[in-house]
Amino acid sequence: MKEQLGESVSAVNGKDGIMVHTVAKERLFEFMKEMKEKGFDSLSLITGVDRKDYLEVVYHLHNFATDEYVEVKTTTDNGVVPSLVSLWSSARWDEREEYDLMGIKFEGHENLKRIFLPENWVGHPLRKDYNLKNIQYINMDKDGEDYATFDPGDGW
Amino acid sequence: MDEVKTGDPGIITTTLEKALTWARSNSIWPLTFGLACCAIEMMTVQSARHDISRFGSEIFRNSPRQSDLMIVAGTVTKKMAPRLKRLYDEMPYPKYVIAMGVCVIQGGPYVHGYSVVLGVDKVVPVDVYVPGCPPTPDALTYGIMTLQEKIRGEIDR
Repeated sequence: MKEQLGESVSAVNGKDGIMVHTVAKERLFEFMKEMKEKGFDSLSLITGVDRKDYLEVVYHLHNFATDEYVEVKTTTDNGVVPSLVSLWSSARWDEREEYDLMGIKFEGHENLKRIFLPENWVGHPLRKDYNLKNIQYINMDKDGEDYATFDPGDGW
Repeated sequence: MDEVKTGDPGIITTTLEKALTWARSNSIWPLTFGLACCAIEMMTVQSARHDISRFGSEIFRNSPRQSDLMIVAGTVTKKMAPRLKRLYDEMPYPKYVIAMGVCVIQGGPYVHGYSVVLGVDKVVPVDVYVPGCPPTPDALTYGIMTLQEKIRGEIDR
């Protein structure tokens, strides 16, 4: 698979009939800009997949005029992917969620911080190497800000 | 058979305690508070078919300051737990809590998850547990009636 990624773009048909484009992350922004110019005006969702030795990011695009869906996949070894906020504003929260739960960093995002969990939460829970035995608890301080703690007497 | 309403109320002797608990048990107003899928069953309980108004749980109040009962319906996440505690603290005494569904009782299917509180009784004291996934509206009605019996002091559990 990685050999294919060295090339620019390979397009194949998924089993449910949706076109799947696999793009190298260096070419991702350029490719997405082309897709937007083609009429894919909505970024439906962003998914992160932990393949253990590398991370995969899947984008679902929708064309409202022709009711066409398309999937774009990219992979990353170091967990860094270019941000698409300048193309679709919906990427702003989706990328923050990806960062929160999967630990994928989006280069160029202006406010890349956690969206669900408190800022001092240790680790990213949907990663394969996240240790579920190391239980963390959440409590609220007097200002209404959440914080994470390892002490079961302090939070819930 | 000739019953004529004379307007004469007659006399009933009772204790103040009994009268108070009877009044209390027949006017439990729940808080509008749904967390997950169990909330759908909780809404059904209010509908015409299962109508808990017949038992005195008249309307779901939107403010914790006006309600007596918190029905915790749905998975309590760690993010929600401090908020739940705050809502409970805002309710006036006497206040009661029903834990609805197996997620609320001990974590249920999410018992190995990173984000779920394993039992709402770690956060607030619970009066009645209604197990099920989700419990039927009948089960919740039974739970509310059990709570009424508990308030009246008919059962001691």
